[in-house]
Amino acid sequence: MSLENFSYHDTIGIASFLGRGFMNPVDLRFDSTGMLFVLSRSNAGNKNVRVSAVTLDSEFQFEFANWGTEPGQTTLPTALAFDSKDRLYVSDEHMHNVSVFDREGNFIKRWGEFGSEPGQLNRPSGLAVDSDDNILVMDHVNARIQKMTPEGQYLSSFGSVGSGPGEFNFAWGISVDTGGDIWVADWRNDRVQRFTADGEFVSTFGTSGSGEGELDRPSGVHVDDRGQVYVADWRNDRVQVFDNGGEHTETLNGDATLSKWCQEFIDVNPEQAGWRENAGLFEEEKRFWRPSAIETNPEGLVLIADACRHRIQIYSKVTEPALV
Amino acid sequence: MAQLLRRAGFGATRDQIDNYLEQGYEETVEELLHPVHGDPEDQDFVDRYFVASVEARTANHADPQWAWRLATNPNPLEEKIALFWHGLMAVGGVKLDHGLEMLTEIDLFRRFGLGRFEDLLLEISRNPGMMYWLDNQNSHIGAPNENYGRELLELFSMGIDEQGEGAYSEEDVKTAARAFTGWASAVTPPPFFLGPFPMEFRFDPDDHDNSEKTFLGQTGNWNGDDIVRIICEQRATARFVALRLYDFFVSDTPNDEEIERLADVFEANDGEIRAVLRDIFNSDHFKSEDVRFKKIKSPSDLVFGTSRLVDRFELPELDSGTLANNTLFMGQHLLNPPSVEGWHEGEEWVDSGALIERINFASSEVSRVDGRGVQRMLARVRDAGDELDGTELVEACLDALGAIDVSTRTKLILIEHAEGYGVPWEAAAPDATDRTIEMFQLIVSMPDYQYC
Repeated sequence: MSLENFSYHDTIGIASFLGRGFMNPVDLRFDSTGMLFVLSRSNAGNKNVRVSAVTLDSEFQFEFANWGTEPGQTTLPTALAFDSKDRLYVSDEHMHNVSVFDREGNFIKRWGEFGSEPGQLNRPSGLAVDSDDNILVMDHVNARIQKMTPEGQYLSSFGSVGSGPGEFNFAWGISVDTGGDIWVADWRNDRVQRFTADGEFVSTFGTSGSGEGELDRPSGVHVDDRGQVYVADWRNDRVQVFDNGGEHTETLNGDATLSKWCQEFIDVNPEQAGWRENAGLFEEEKRFWRPSAIETNPEGLVLIADACRHRIQIYSKVTEPALV
Repeated sequence: MAQLLRRAGFGATRDQIDNYLEQGYEETVEELLHPVHGDPEDQDFVDRYFVASVEARTANHADPQWAWRLATNPNPLEEKIALFWHGLMAVGGVKLDHGLEMLTEIDLFRRFGLGRFEDLLLEISRNPGMMYWLDNQNSHIGAPNENYGRELLELFSMGIDEQGEGAYSEEDVKTAARAFTGWASAVTPPPFFLGPFPMEFRFDPDDHDNSEKTFLGQTGNWNGDDIVRIICEQRATARFVALRLYDFFVSDTPNDEEIERLADVFEANDGEIRAVLRDIFNSDHFKSEDVRFKKIKSPSDLVFGTSRLVDRFELPELDSGTLANNTLFMGQHLLNPPSVEGWHEGEEWVDSGALIERINFASSEVSRVDGRGVQRMLARVRDAGDELDGTELVEACLDALGAIDVSTRTKLILIEHAEGYGVPWEAAAPDATDRTIEMFQLIVSMPDYQYC
């Protein structure tokens, strides 16, 4: 299916247990310099979790937040967010806390503990930062978004369990738009909800299903600087794009080519290359498999964490020509 | 009832036993024999918390998926029958290191494992993982590979006796191999840079031996499905399946009379496994003292049975994802049987190292005082009376642990221990919970707990 408002741009990534590459990337964020940080969730038992810093031209820089329970380590990391001072926040669903790093990957501190009282967390998932540099945490088993200071002091919260307006059912990703509104991928309610910065319910869109505009366990939501809303339609293995009013505008199913790192792997492993040729599943290779999160940059690039293919698929907005 | 739930499942809590008792024994048997297949309601949770198991590249990556089902599936027979067939028609990660395909195969056993044996054999013969595991992709017209044909007859359907003789000839093995030429797994891309792709079965008619063949006395231009049909007509097949079902669900000691009777049931019901199991579960023999608490628990019985007993997991979590490691430490690597023969059941499960693992695991589980199941067990003991003497405390704890029986000798040891702390045990005493937990730990550390 041809794309109207986007064109496929590039792919970064290769399956890798450590170092260059990713293992089940579930979130990604740019810092203020344009460095891309990718969160590998992996399988907890296999201990390949980490945050990797890479450039857009596939240069691996460094990694941190590797497996463990000590300060500076993560166990079941789920989401990333940068504040205006380039501090990176990483939520952890096993340790029920948020770790804070600088943009070089140096550990600063961590905050949060298990519980349901104000300020306590039960499997924190999505993260976002508001214009005051407060941290919004999708405290998903507690079915609420908590607003915290960068130091982890509780400020406020909203949300409860359910399927009505303002209620959540194991919600996952969150995003703050340029106007300060908060958007939530309400995972088990198969919808996206929009709130004001104060947590007042504004609107919702999406119903269960696989048709156009329908959602099946949306994991990530992202609103770009033009107000376009991108939803990682996780179990439908696609990303759907909506206008600011929740009207469906386009669907991305995945168009990946071999990344630079994959091509290098193929080049030095002719046996694997032959195996791949014989299988001939080139169309299947392109498609998303559990896309989990979306990030955009001012140059008009749209990056999608393709969790089960261990890569980042990148599109550019053709209506807003990419500058790179 | 507790015996049924231990054998057709992984045991049950006292509350579950009470609910089933209210429903009735035969009605419970029917419920267990008719699981509703399909994606479980909580599949999304397992996928979310263990994303690497969605694209399980290896058997180990697939562990969190099956372990969750084994620990939580509300119809335990669905998992028990999958475990049975997985042990009988074993495919292992040591060669087929493709977790996605392993999970597909386990699901095949869930869906077909209680139906007609012929249907199951056909499905497993078209299973790409099995074709790869037993080298059938290397079986070509004019150069058949005998591996699948041999194991199909020897290990999956007709069996051999103690002298290594089967009710089939070497020529039948070769003929079966010729009939299965062209049955293979399609080539899949390597998993090393993009993760795995699902495996697919592929029949290549140009690579199939279309000549006339004589198999078990029947002559024709047989294909693989004809071989399966002819196999399922044999009395040896009925007896083999009956024997293996008896071994797994009833007793480690074969009973010829029962096995012949079950073979008759198999034949009278067109080879339907559900009918054989119904007969087993409703039989006086199954309910008799001859077989109760006489079968050694497999590592899976012990690990998932104890996890279920303490009702440990509300949502998939780190520990649920590594439950398969616990069975591994006890000698059962779930998605990696030691060979095509599967696991040897019975006393071979227990050596000194495995026994320590078993005791440590069970003892640790029943001491999770904050756990939902342990809280309910503690409440059951408290409900037994405000003051209990040693015998009453032991009886209450045994009942709370799922109505388990222990030998007279064991019971005397437990009573002596209970009395050693002073009697009566008082529900309101500050140490009541600690004493009860300690009794739970002692009970699951006794040899009796190793039997089901």
